[in-house]
Amino acid sequence: MKERGSTLLQKEGTKSVLASLIAILIGLAVGAIIILIVGIFNPSLGIKGALEGVQLVFGGLFSTGRSAAGALTFGFNSTNMGNMLFRATPLILTGLSVAVAFKTGLFNIGAPGQYLMGTAATLILALSIPTSVVPAPLVWVIAFVGGCLAGAIWGCIPGLVKAFLNINEVLACIMTNWIAANLVTWLFDNGSLFANLQNHVENTKTAYIYKTSFNGVQTAKLGLDKIFPGSQVNGGIVVAIIIAILIFILMTKTTLGYQLKACGANRHAARYAGIADKRNIVLSMAIAGALSGAAASLYYLSGNTEFYWTSAYQSLPAIGFNGIPVALLAASHPIGVIFAGCFMSMLDIVGLQLTNLTAYNEYITDVIIAIIVYLSAFSLVIRMLISGHKKRKNAKVQTVAATTEPLPADTPPGTPPDTPPDSAAVEEGGGEA
Amino acid sequence: METENIIEMLHITKEFPGIIANDDITLQLRRGEIHALLGENGAGKSTLMSVLFGLYQPEAGEIRKNGEKVKINNPNDATALGIGMVHQHFKLIDVFTVLDNIILGAETTKLGFLQKKEARKKVEEISKKYGLSVDLDAKVEDITVGMQQRVEILKMLYRDNEILIFDEPTAVLTPQEIDELMATMREFAKEGKSILFISHKLNEIMAVADRVTVLRKGKYVGTVDTKDTDKQSLSNMMVGRPVQLQVEKTPATPGEVVLSVEGMTVPSHTHKRNAVNDVSFQVRKGEIVCIAGIDGNGQSELVYGLAGLEKCSGGSIQLCGKEISHCSIHQRGENMSHIPEDRHKHGLVLDFTLEQNMVLQRFREPRFQHLGFIKRGEVRKYAEALIEQYDVRSGQGPVTIARSMSGGNQQKAIIAREVDRDKPLLIAVQPTRGLDVGAIEYIHKQLVAERDKGRAVLLVSLELDEVMSLSDRILVMYEGEIVGELDPKTITVQELGLYMAGAKRTEKEGKGA
Repeated sequence: MKERGSTLLQKEGTKSVLASLIAILIGLAVGAIIILIVGIFNPSLGIKGALEGVQLVFGGLFSTGRSAAGALTFGFNSTNMGNMLFRATPLILTGLSVAVAFKTGLFNIGAPGQYLMGTAATLILALSIPTSVVPAPLVWVIAFVGGCLAGAIWGCIPGLVKAFLNINEVLACIMTNWIAANLVTWLFDNGSLFANLQNHVENTKTAYIYKTSFNGVQTAKLGLDKIFPGSQVNGGIVVAIIIAILIFILMTKTTLGYQLKACGANRHAARYAGIADKRNIVLSMAIAGALSGAAASLYYLSGNTEFYWTSAYQSLPAIGFNGIPVALLAASHPIGVIFAGCFMSMLDIVGLQLTNLTAYNEYITDVIIAIIVYLSAFSLVIRMLISGHKKRKNAKVQTVAATTEPLPADTPPGTPPDTPPDSAAVEEGGGEA
Repeated sequence: METENIIEMLHITKEFPGIIANDDITLQLRRGEIHALLGENGAGKSTLMSVLFGLYQPEAGEIRKNGEKVKINNPNDATALGIGMVHQHFKLIDVFTVLDNIILGAETTKLGFLQKKEARKKVEEISKKYGLSVDLDAKVEDITVGMQQRVEILKMLYRDNEILIFDEPTAVLTPQEIDELMATMREFAKEGKSILFISHKLNEIMAVADRVTVLRKGKYVGTVDTKDTDKQSLSNMMVGRPVQLQVEKTPATPGEVVLSVEGMTVPSHTHKRNAVNDVSFQVRKGEIVCIAGIDGNGQSELVYGLAGLEKCSGGSIQLCGKEISHCSIHQRGENMSHIPEDRHKHGLVLDFTLEQNMVLQRFREPRFQHLGFIKRGEVRKYAEALIEQYDVRSGQGPVTIARSMSGGNQQKAIIAREVDRDKPLLIAVQPTRGLDVGAIEYIHKQLVAERDKGRAVLLVSLELDEVMSLSDRILVMYEGEIVGELDPKTITVQELGLYMAGAKRTEKEGKGA
């Protein structure tokens, strides 16, 4: 990459990052205002409590509790840090799942279903293969691959329906989500096929618990527990980051990524050029599904998590849906997803800190998350504002390009002729398309 | 006091980032005249009209109506001044009826309720007066493009506009519809309405306009009376150099058969009849065979059937001696390159860069990939070579996003890609649609050069001039069938027109020669 090309792309990249950061800052600021208002009108909090709340919103990750005098203390908190990475792991993967689909012109709202199928496959494999016969690390691998495959198969279904029957993938995804929920109910409900995998050790609990560590299968810590003592962090985050990098390479450097993006950007043109459009639609949904499945695998294989089962699903796992804001915030860029995922899990930690240290309840962070999600969609607009400003500044310097596009009459006034439309802005992400 | 000029645009300058779209342009529209605005793609015609219609604010210059300075901040101001515009891409609501579309924004109401009866009466009167018959209760999505244009015209008339802007109105019309439109425009002018007519089709301008203002690359070139000029000098003004309007070519020397189609049938999506019905023909090496016909007579489906974009329900297609009717698009592409009809739908991935578009079919070749990894450097080098060789102009070279390029250069990019793939059969569907004379000249030269290199060229065109000047053999399609095989050297345009309209056909044995 040289000359004009690289400088331009770098600029595009910086713009994306800048836009996302601005969205986050505005989100946090608005969140802080809400915290203030809530605090001031709540007698148990008062102005002091409100200000503490604001401090925690911005610095919750570094909160170390309260001093003897009762003041908030801040510093490096290994538990918070490690837990952030632990919670970020599945978010990064579901974020990638949504981002890959976005990049190929599909909206994968089926991540919750794929996540559930990944959960089921992982638990069944990790618990039913006896570790006395097969070494535990191998069982781990089998369970992980199984989870990915189950997610991939579940992602394929909306893909097939879209490719061959031209039914909108959003509709198909929503339906497969609930089919997955009911399927998991059927698999794990009392008296069902896999009810015997329930963990009977913790008989103080009334629901059914599936915990892979019961069979000795859990993700290696990779020394992360030494860096972040007292937290739940494990090797899963490393796996997630490696997967994100692989996806980045797949989408930008390979012929497969090129085909997937071509089908997403213009299915007709891809077909015209002899690219198997149907195959690629199914494939990109399968990849998206596998990523959601992987999210579930890494979460439940971590060793400190249990699948806590009471009765049939009333709602879908939020972690699947949370992939959507992660992908939006990252402008669908695979590397950006790593950071967006960490950021979203940081907000979770902030919520916990608020509940533990102040009289706020954790739901206030849901409000902040919601605002940031709204603003992450806004980051496109912010991006356009940034580029519009720069272009106008440069306009006078540049000479007349004889070949620039004739300005269509229907372009809104003042729109620079070469500003890519919204969809293109998503596509570009932070790097090379 | 009535001034001679109803609208004056004086020294208009409109800048966009990186480009001055209008540079000190003056345009004076007289009362009751048809004034053409001529220029290549990107010359600034549409921008100038958007300034007049209030869509853009100029950086410098002023607009006067009847000698008085006016400020047009938005289309509502323009409408209030009696300025109406038929946009190139119609601004109609598909699911509304024709009547609803016409009155939209200018509804007569009583206590907040629509008074459609009065509106209907007024529209009916107008449409009778000008012979613009439309079905007021039909939904816009169900009527033809020509009809939709009538709706746009009626919209202007309903608002009692006296200055009518037509932005490339003929691009979407059939020859018959063009004639009707021209007559209507003359009628308006006779009534005292003033018309601004944007076009780059010289024939139409010579036929209908009183005066022509020529723009080139955002600058004013001049205004001339059509009776004092001719097509050649207009095109020279527009392009800035002498342009060859006639294609220069030697007689064809057809060789062996490259494409042989026998009894090909393609079902239609819109009606029960077949879009292409039992069509047989051959294309040989070193000849340009042109499929002529009025739009919608099965030409598009014929090409889709050949390229594999549409399934054939019968017949055989032999390409280079190989039966391909059951082959995939990719397999067919081994011996066929295809300049598609719709460059935005099929030709380009608009959000991809130019270089990515240049290897749309070839990215799998070992030259451009290794073990599934794209060789970026090779792609870049190849794209740069094509850009250089075919003079594709763009803002940032290979990394330009295709969407930001002008239509003419997008088409050049497609032609570069398809011609360079170097396949025995080249299918070109309306390769010059919407392009200016400079680009048309270039593309015609390319097609003839390909023929002379020994390729079989199948050209589909709706432009009679193009058909007559470029082809070595003409096949006329009417309602999905080939109704005549004609020799361009002996046939007249009038006779060709009769074949195209279905009024004449050669007998069956003439087919498939």
